[in-house]
Amino acid sequence: MLQRSLLTILVLLPVAGAIAAVAYGMAARRGETAAKWIALGFSTATFALSLLLLTGGGYADSAAFRFEQNLPWIGAIGARYHVGVDGISLWLVILTTLLVPISIVSSWHAVEKRPLAFYAFILLLESAMIGVFVSLDLLVFYLFFEASLVPMFFLIGVWGGERRIYAAAKFFIFTAVGSLLMLVGIIALYYIHLRQAGFGTFDYTTLLASLRSSQMVLGPDAQFWLFLAFAIAFAIKVPLFPFHTWLPDAHTEAPTAGSVILAGVLLKMGTYGLMRFNLALFPDASRYFAWVMITLAVIGIIYGALVAMVQPDVKRLVAYSSVSHMGFVVLGLFSFTEQGMQGSLYQMLNHGVSTGALFLLVGMIYERRHTRLISEFGGLAKPMPWFATLFVFASLSSVGLPILNGFIGEFLIMLGMWTSPALSQTWARVATMLAATGVIWAAVYMLWMLQRVLFGRVKNEKNKRLTDLNWREMGLLLPLLALMIYMGVYPRPFLNRSRAAVELVRSRVVATEGGGVIAER
Amino acid sequence: MNLCLAMQTAQAVSPDINFALIMPELLVSVAGVLVMLVDAFTRRSNQRWVTGLLSLVGLGAAAAVCVLMWDDQTTAREAFNGMIVLDRMRLSFTLVFLIVSALTVLISMIWVEWEHLPAGEFHSLLLFATVGMMFMASGGDLVIIFLGLELLSIATYVMAGFRRTDLRSNESSMKYFILGAFSSAFLLYGIALVYGGTSLLNGGAGTTNIKELALRVGAENALAYPALLYAGAALMLVGFGFKIATAPFHVWTPDVYEGAPTPVTAFMAAGPKASGFAAFMRVFLFGFPFIAATTNAAQLHSAWINALWLLAILTMSVGNLAALVQNNVKRMLAYSSIAHAGYALVGFVAAGQARDETLQSDAIAAVAFYLLAYAVMNLGAFAVVTLIARSGDRRTEIEDYNGIGFTAPALSFALTLFLLSLLGIPLTAGFMGKVMVFRAALDQGFVGLVVIGVLNTAISVYYYLRLIVVMFFRERSTAWSAPAVPVSVALAIIITVLGVFYLGIFPGQVLDAFRSAQPVVSQLK
Repeated sequence: MLQRSLLTILVLLPVAGAIAAVAYGMAARRGETAAKWIALGFSTATFALSLLLLTGGGYADSAAFRFEQNLPWIGAIGARYHVGVDGISLWLVILTTLLVPISIVSSWHAVEKRPLAFYAFILLLESAMIGVFVSLDLLVFYLFFEASLVPMFFLIGVWGGERRIYAAAKFFIFTAVGSLLMLVGIIALYYIHLRQAGFGTFDYTTLLASLRSSQMVLGPDAQFWLFLAFAIAFAIKVPLFPFHTWLPDAHTEAPTAGSVILAGVLLKMGTYGLMRFNLALFPDASRYFAWVMITLAVIGIIYGALVAMVQPDVKRLVAYSSVSHMGFVVLGLFSFTEQGMQGSLYQMLNHGVSTGALFLLVGMIYERRHTRLISEFGGLAKPMPWFATLFVFASLSSVGLPILNGFIGEFLIMLGMWTSPALSQTWARVATMLAATGVIWAAVYMLWMLQRVLFGRVKNEKNKRLTDLNWREMGLLLPLLALMIYMGVYPRPFLNRSRAAVELVRSRVVATEGGGVIAER
Repeated sequence: MNLCLAMQTAQAVSPDINFALIMPELLVSVAGVLVMLVDAFTRRSNQRWVTGLLSLVGLGAAAAVCVLMWDDQTTAREAFNGMIVLDRMRLSFTLVFLIVSALTVLISMIWVEWEHLPAGEFHSLLLFATVGMMFMASGGDLVIIFLGLELLSIATYVMAGFRRTDLRSNESSMKYFILGAFSSAFLLYGIALVYGGTSLLNGGAGTTNIKELALRVGAENALAYPALLYAGAALMLVGFGFKIATAPFHVWTPDVYEGAPTPVTAFMAAGPKASGFAAFMRVFLFGFPFIAATTNAAQLHSAWINALWLLAILTMSVGNLAALVQNNVKRMLAYSSIAHAGYALVGFVAAGQARDETLQSDAIAAVAFYLLAYAVMNLGAFAVVTLIARSGDRRTEIEDYNGIGFTAPALSFALTLFLLSLLGIPLTAGFMGKVMVFRAALDQGFVGLVVIGVLNTAISVYYYLRLIVVMFFRERSTAWSAPAVPVSVALAIIITVLGVFYLGIFPGQVLDAFRSAQPVVSQLK
């Protein structure tokens, strides 16, 4: 029973929480303050339940989906409610369920305006995000992918900063418009399957099986257009250069909880989609487009880092660093090597943990000073030693210091790219070397920012009286810091569980009909 | 076929009366008459409840009969010498009309009270308009379709001008009347030309029966004046194009929708549009079908398919682009309704192109589903707009929605849901509707049409979002208190909210019911 419906419970539990919060909020007089407790309760329960996914066992040995539930949904068009997890989605689901309670606690005192609606939207968002990672039916996937926009739109628009309306509208329009063509692609896939295999389907596993058994063959033209339709939707979400312009605005204006979730989970939907759908369903087009994606990724890495360097606003700096880090993820995916792709997946988790922590820390000083301008700070280490320690910690993790998590991911990605079959040997190495400069740039902008914010004399009078982190704030950050060290020292449990699933995707891309690798380019 | 023609020319007239087949129409007509009678004998303060309830009972009874007829294979498939047909297409559209009218009754309840208008007259007009719509869906003959259309139109002209003392309402009614009469003339002239065009070389008279029409169109060598068919079809296309407000025949829509009382606008955007589609599709899909190995029919078919293809693109684009710059909510929703007619046309084109009967009935079901989804979300949106507009429709500018989001959270979130559904965000009815029509069109290879449709959806993001942004993200500078929500309107909003989710999450049941429609006419092909 639990085995089959666990994922459905995970998807629906936060919605139930949202309904409960709203119902209680309307019924009880002090319901608005109770909302955060209800939200925390439901999201913690979701997290606890999501840990049960680890008991699935055997992730290391087979790429099969676990905790599958497959029910008829719309008979008329052959859409099914099909959910399941494998080694790829497992960790992304847990990352989601971990970050949501953390972001709820981070808003404990920060959100005073309409708390009921705020927490209800966060819970709805959680449902949509879990839904994205577990759905195995393309229509259901699209449903959750789009549905996640609405709560985030409200979170930015109602609880955001000064330019929140602009940022919210830009966020919504960019991402919604980007994914519309994917819908056309999904329906087109249905019909191609109908024509070739005799029945139409939106089911990912069925589509994959038909492709592997050559019951369905996607010609070069079909793959070309389908790849583009899907890739544009995901590239905007990631965001890949040059589709990244919505991200700095959205991040900067979003409330802390929104930024944490946006950076931690929403961006991963893009890279997850590229991995799950683009690589596995359109392998020939993936190889054909590999150089484009790699080039854009490398540009994103360097461009994001350079722009981050000159930002006067800490939050904007972290936002641009996301562009750079997500570039690494895309680079790893399109290296088509085991190290590279595993590193990509690992880097998705890393980025969620370290950037999440950075946004939390930025939110904490913002709560105290109501500014995020680097020039306003200086010497914060003196009044706030704990804050400074943790900030340095999280920044170094983001930079990729060995023994912290960021290092493993970036190292694997570059290792993979060096031997990548996606490009000729020379170009693969050039790309790797260029990407490697991104790590150096990251050190430059992060350390420089730390220096200006934390060290030196306390120049600004207002900064002298700042209080250090309280227990709630420490409690928020410690799990993330523990994860940074754990993931940096002992990545085996993570990488082991994802290997089989990643290898399956890789084998789709690398194995061509002729057995050779990427001859057509 | 020759035998068939010969029989027709022999004019074998038998009454062929079958009241069971027009039971839903009869019930609604009787309810309309009863409402008028009861209205005369009821105290003024009770009128709106009594006549409203009576109307709802009539509509409910008709819907129940409809459902009973659904799977009944034993009843005759046509009656009155082919004037009335029974198929899933008719039943699904009839159900849409009944839902639209019932919701309109609920929404207009408050308005009739605010404005001190005669409730009984309004309700009976609404019921007669509904009968007209139902005949447009059930008519198997151009004459019946035209009669239904006129019945609908005349009732609606009056409803649009129902607020006699309001200039805008008068203007709306007048414009609607003049342009509506104009378009009816086009349609009628088209019917006349088609009648002439189907007359036979051997002196046999023409026909207005749709089934017969298809046979004649296929029998090209027997026709006296086949060229007239093209002119007739073109004029009919224009006439129907006016009724469902396709660009470039849409110009009346914004003015009429803006000026008419809001509940009437809600009705006009959902009901008459759907009935226009029902009649339009029946005439063109089954009257001018593609018939293999004929030049005449094939050319005619490809001509109207191409024309509709162009109309669909124009309608979607004009509607969405014009909606971008509107500052009045009703006007914005009027342009959005034009755009939605364009999306529905995409499904219509697909149905026209389909060679296979099941594919065709799937496409028809997709259009019916789309119009149902549109009716539900649109009526819901107008219900909220009615409440916010207050009496006399005073507050319909986008400015009036500034910052009301958290002052009236239930209303604002409901309106947000309807707007997101109109936009086509997943989990809502609008999304499923779009998936269905785009799916049908992709199946027929209209990739370009679908891509344009999708790009249009992208354009529409802006104006739907704008209203949400205004409601929730702006602060209100002037005082504003949430309107009291009367029971009837609350009921309408709850039903439409649930409907939007139901059609958006579990569309299967409704689709299955609408599908496998076996249109009578095509069985004979």
